[in-house]
Amino acid sequence: MASNQECLLENGNPINDTREEEEEVNHHHGRTARQMSASSLRRKSDPSLANGVQNRHLKQLLVNLQVVLFGTKLSVLLPTIPLSIIAVCYGFGKPWIFALSLLAITLLAERISFLTEQISYYTGPTVGGLLNATFGNATELIIAISALSQNNIALLKYSLLGSVLSNLLLVLGTSLFCGGLANLRGEQKFDRRQANVNSLLLLLGTFCHMLPMLLRYAGDSAVAVDQTLQISRAFSIVSEVDGDEDVQEDVAEVGFWSGFSWLFVVTTITALLSEYVVGTIEDASRSWGLSVSFLSLILVPILGNAAEHAGSIIFALKNKLDISLAVSLGSATQIAMFVVPCCAVVGWIMGVNMDLNFNLIETVSFALAVITAAFALQDGTSHYVKGLVLILCYIVIGICFFVYETPLDRRERKVKRGV
Amino acid sequence: MEESQEALNNIENGISNYNKGLGNNKEINGSKTPQNLSASIVRKKSDPILVSNVRFQMLRNILNNLHEVVLGTKLAVLFPAIPLAILADFYHFGRPWIFALSLLGLTPLAERVSFLTEQIAYFTGPTVGGLLNATCGNATEMIIAFFALRQNKIHVVKYSLLGSILSNLLLVLGTSLLFGGLANLKKEQRYDRKQADVNSLLLLLGLLCHMLPLMFRYASGLGNPFAIDTLQLSRTSSIFMIIAYVAYIFFQLKTHRQLFESQEEDEDEDKDGEKAVIGFWSAFSWLVGMTIIIALLSEYVVGTIEAASNSWGISVNFISIILLPIVGNAAEHAGSIIFALKNKLDISLGVALGSASQISMFVVPLSVIVAWIMGIQMDLDFSLLETGSLAFTIIITAFTLQDGTSHYMKGVILFLCYVVIAACFFVDKIPMNETIVGNLGTVNEPSSGILFA
Repeated sequence: MASNQECLLENGNPINDTREEEEEVNHHHGRTARQMSASSLRRKSDPSLANGVQNRHLKQLLVNLQVVLFGTKLSVLLPTIPLSIIAVCYGFGKPWIFALSLLAITLLAERISFLTEQISYYTGPTVGGLLNATFGNATELIIAISALSQNNIALLKYSLLGSVLSNLLLVLGTSLFCGGLANLRGEQKFDRRQANVNSLLLLLGTFCHMLPMLLRYAGDSAVAVDQTLQISRAFSIVSEVDGDEDVQEDVAEVGFWSGFSWLFVVTTITALLSEYVVGTIEDASRSWGLSVSFLSLILVPILGNAAEHAGSIIFALKNKLDISLAVSLGSATQIAMFVVPCCAVVGWIMGVNMDLNFNLIETVSFALAVITAAFALQDGTSHYVKGLVLILCYIVIGICFFVYETPLDRRERKVKRGV
Repeated sequence: MEESQEALNNIENGISNYNKGLGNNKEINGSKTPQNLSASIVRKKSDPILVSNVRFQMLRNILNNLHEVVLGTKLAVLFPAIPLAILADFYHFGRPWIFALSLLGLTPLAERVSFLTEQIAYFTGPTVGGLLNATCGNATEMIIAFFALRQNKIHVVKYSLLGSILSNLLLVLGTSLLFGGLANLKKEQRYDRKQADVNSLLLLLGLLCHMLPLMFRYASGLGNPFAIDTLQLSRTSSIFMIIAYVAYIFFQLKTHRQLFESQEEDEDEDKDGEKAVIGFWSAFSWLVGMTIIIALLSEYVVGTIEAASNSWGISVNFISIILLPIVGNAAEHAGSIIFALKNKLDISLGVALGSASQISMFVVPLSVIVAWIMGIQMDLDFSLLETGSLAFTIIITAFTLQDGTSHYMKGVILFLCYVVIAACFFVDKIPMNETIVGNLGTVNEPSSGILFA
């Protein structure tokens, strides 16, 4: 009997789910690991600004403003939003617009996540989960659609690929590395079933990318495998809702309509800034001497993901690897299985010719990143060498694209020569 | 409640209790790594019958020393090959003869170097001993690679190192698992999979560093302007590979040493082996002497490899990838099989995987950097067939080892994979020129014997 139990455990079926005793499971508010991770960057809401004000409505308004605008450590970047708009209006150098917009997006990404969380308190778990699935990577989605609208397909593909790689290798690697160093005495464990599901989904995504590429080499024209991806997209949303584990019950800090309107405003500003980013990326690359592919693959995803990244590391240091993993892996899976096919569909609607064929180097890097991450995570424990290896993989891929002249850059080079 | 929870958690994640049980019997002697233990199997017990008749103390000591070092291994039968090889070179025998004799001579020398390193490790303590082993464990491969670089035979360097990795991962591991499984049909064979995990991860990083320059070449077409970038990429990746290896050493020797403590033999005869059998300076000078002889023989091997391939009718690729590593690794191979037969799989795995990681993450990038210093343009681009074999090998091995148990079928599969890859290189007689376009401007003579008389 005992060996039977052990056998079950060995193969991943828990006898009794005692892990739930440690954390209070509360499925009511759709508060995912990602939101918890981002919330680690927030200050406690302490509406001191409004203490002196007598008028009740004004006070509420000021509290609202303080929570939304200043509720995060990233609020130091708040000035960059007006600055970038001014830079565009007054025709500053394009590299400046690029840099300022990028920094502003870093802040806005975090605020979108905060506002989504607030709204989900009111809408219940399912809609909350769906909201999170859609808006969780809103920044990447918005940048992608901007690139699509400017018909810059290569930029779109590279920024999405860069997001996946950065989540899978950089965020995960630094979390495991820092966590491992901070917990040298103990051993770090995590729930490998979640990691396995995500790895499987990512492998499916790799497969879906390899097929069009192989078809191209086999001589056929590029075939969109959208149907498969629609199905997998549905699966990923379902699994997203399924995998939520909450920790604390909390009260919303802003009202529903207030949150909703703020979300609308922040999303609009993000869209505007993304347009700037996509429009000025070539000029920035020319003036900084870095290739466009390097910028879109490495720089943009790192900044867009900064809030989640910091949160993930903090949780790993506290030996709560499950949350770090949910953040990084979940994000990577979401982009690969949701944002990419979503863009393919939007492209289809807009009449833009986007297929899933990322070229050879990109697909191979993606495949190897997925395989390496899957192997690192498949045994349920972690130490700092695992994190270091993942970080080094990311660095090597980054260097490869630093020296590699992609078709995007080649087009750039021709444009420059023609001027 | 907490304890059983902990125990259940452990089983879930593959930390079996049997390792903890052995903890009582373990002697903490960190200098005895799996490689050392495995090679020590092929040694004879020191039995100084020969010297008991000699009166003078000093003479007796010298003879004792000689006996230990020269005759202390079953492979000593191959020692006559060394002077024969030198004679053959002197008197201009057929070049294939020089090649064959040098190869045979290298086999016992590789084992002796490992023995001497172990002896020195007794004097220097466990950490330095571990470091010594980590660096010199594959001394033969490193020396062959260095001489091939000097004679600008970059393909020999690449393919002999690649062949070493393949032979360690498939041949040594496969035969060990096979024989171990057959000998222990009744019992269950388990090993600590954490070690296998770390090694697999390192090998995957190495694979990534090899695939990227290869993809580079294909993605930008075979045009030369991008060869410089491949070189830059390879050199930078090499630095990072060495960083990863240094971290692995730190991990193995300092912070997570308990994962790598090998299963010591509990038998009595090992108690004798705790002391060094020869003095420190004696061991050191023997080591220097043997290294010089290895260097000499390696130079012969690298110099005569084409002649041998022409006269025997097999490609240089095949000789570099298959023959050289089998010969160079013979002692460790034998030891690994013997430990598997005794159901001590941790040691076999330590030998095979540790060797493969060392070559992939240390010797290969070191060769690239040494080539950089010497002004030779070696990159990490092993061509398509070789990189593809490497990729499949690493993935298959990682999968095979990831569950912590073993049976003979796993060994059969790995061994057959190796046979298939060897067969592939045996029939692969494409001319050299096509495979090294990535190296700027280096042109080497064709490998098949057809063009030369």
